[in-house]
Amino acid sequence: MKALDIRNITKTYHMASEEVRALRGVTLELEQNEYIAIMGPSGSGKSTLMNVIGCLDTPSSGEYFLEGVDVSKMSDDQLAEIRNRKIGFVFQTFNLIPRSDVFHNVELPLIYGGLSGADRRKLAEAAIEKVGLSDRITHKPNELSGGQRQRVAIARALVNNPSIILADEPTGNLDTATGEEIMQVFNDLHAAGNTIILVTHETEIAQHAHRTIRLRDGMIESDEKNGVLHPTLS
Amino acid sequence: MRYLYELRESLRIALAAIKANKARGVLTTLGIIIGIVAVVTTMTAANGLQNSFKESISAVGSDVLYVTRMPWIITGNFFEYRNRENLTLKEAQKLAARLSEAKAVNPSSYTQRDIKYRANLMEAVTVVGTTDKYIRVSNALPEYGRFLIPQDVQYKRNVCVIGSEIQEKLFENTNPINKRMKIGRYYYRVVGVMEKQGSAGFFGGPNFDRQIIVPITAFIKTFGGANRSFSISVKAPSQEEMADFEYAVIGEMRKIRKLKPTEKDDFSINQMNTLMNAYNSVMGVIVMIGLVITSVSLFVGGIGVMNIMFVSVTERTREIGIRKAIGAKKRAILSQFLFESSVICLIGGVIGLLVAYGVTALINNLMMPASISPFIMAVALLVSILTGVVSGIIPAIKAARLNPIEALRYE
Repeated sequence: MKALDIRNITKTYHMASEEVRALRGVTLELEQNEYIAIMGPSGSGKSTLMNVIGCLDTPSSGEYFLEGVDVSKMSDDQLAEIRNRKIGFVFQTFNLIPRSDVFHNVELPLIYGGLSGADRRKLAEAAIEKVGLSDRITHKPNELSGGQRQRVAIARALVNNPSIILADEPTGNLDTATGEEIMQVFNDLHAAGNTIILVTHETEIAQHAHRTIRLRDGMIESDEKNGVLHPTLS
Repeated sequence: MRYLYELRESLRIALAAIKANKARGVLTTLGIIIGIVAVVTTMTAANGLQNSFKESISAVGSDVLYVTRMPWIITGNFFEYRNRENLTLKEAQKLAARLSEAKAVNPSSYTQRDIKYRANLMEAVTVVGTTDKYIRVSNALPEYGRFLIPQDVQYKRNVCVIGSEIQEKLFENTNPINKRMKIGRYYYRVVGVMEKQGSAGFFGGPNFDRQIIVPITAFIKTFGGANRSFSISVKAPSQEEMADFEYAVIGEMRKIRKLKPTEKDDFSINQMNTLMNAYNSVMGVIVMIGLVITSVSLFVGGIGVMNIMFVSVTERTREIGIRKAIGAKKRAILSQFLFESSVICLIGGVIGLLVAYGVTALINNLMMPASISPFIMAVALLVSILTGVVSGIIPAIKAARLNPIEALRYE
């Protein structure tokens, strides 16, 4: 089964009297355990595509199958459930809950998923260990560095064992060295079998992926395999 | 189970949010506190009034009928009652002879006189002329000394039994037994002091602690009896037979008065319920008005909470976006904010109850017996939670409906 199967989706916003056609027919297939980068200048429809893939938004037309399930016409609450179980978000600005400690931030998706306290503890601790923050488990986000915060966000994204990890400019707020560390985490996740979609405008970051899709004016401009081998595989 | 985890998370967020904004919380809660104090105190005061009224008229006895010339509570045409014949002592004796099943039949008459002991004076004290049987129709007993005995009545002795308030004020709490005091222009010897019965005097009800009981014969001798109307108390054989017994009393009275079947009764039958009902209908209205007025302050407090909830939602738009992105459904966000407003109001309600507890203790000490009943407590807590839900619902719906994409972008 394909991880993701998008067929000719469009998205049109109505702003005042103007119509903004953010996506004009995008078709995209993704196999399990693929690692792709979505690139494009601002206004290319990159964010809109990411919102649709992340089930934060529904397309105006077209079909979207996530692991064989049609999610293109779901209600808000149904989408929330899909996001909870199948999507892991990593944002540029980390988006952690400020007053909650690392553990609580990571277990949050499991709470909304309805898991018991014992199960949550097991899964959250495992996810925190994967990103190497076991010794910071009771720290609040403001007691962590930028890189550490992004690791927490990654732990939160993968704690539910999602179908897709969707990372929107994950290194945008980090210095180059820390950014590389974070990319290494993604590489490891991919090696462990996760499907990863990276949204970025930096070519070097996109190089970590195995396939790059370039958007322009709401359409796919190019879709090609990256020549460079994955650093961990080389 | 699943909802339980969500609800626990909602409660946790709510508590954290309140903890994070203490000053704001205190100010917001203040409105609710004032509202709850006002409502609870009103209810408690109403309860206290009712209890002290009940207590003071309990001396009247719930199984006693009072035959009088005019009804206690006059409704309708006053002149119809005004032309009635006085009830005489002779009629009382006749009634006693006819009602063999009654536990007691006792005539009384009332007047007001100034009373004096040494330099102390009390004005317009109720003087009751009655017999030794008074004690059998009333629930009160003497605290010191004795009550009237048949010989007092038979020999027209100038003796009296005084209420507790008279002992306090006229005799300044000294032992009054066998002291000579003046009732009007006549000397009476104190033979007993009645136990304290509580007063409903503050709204015009009888105050049994401020009356003097004398033998009816001495009463007539000193204060005159020719033009007086007596009231006849009749104690029913049992509480259950009150209704039947009332008809018996009416029948016998009509015979004594030689009324034709077509003629209306020219006397009235009263009982404790008559007073209770009149009291309830008046107090009911007063309490309702009081509650409406005090509810306004709670309403204003609720608006304060709603206001702060809107602020809270706006402040945490981004957090709402994050929660939605990772899978929080509408109801999870809704309950988060409903919990916050309810907890704020519940805290206000609890503090309000504590303050009201103090106010009640004060009322109890200074004015009248009052206490917060468990029922009032439960109502106050329920009302405060309800206020929280009502004032939180609109901001919570606003939060639950936020678009996650826009919420995530919110700065």
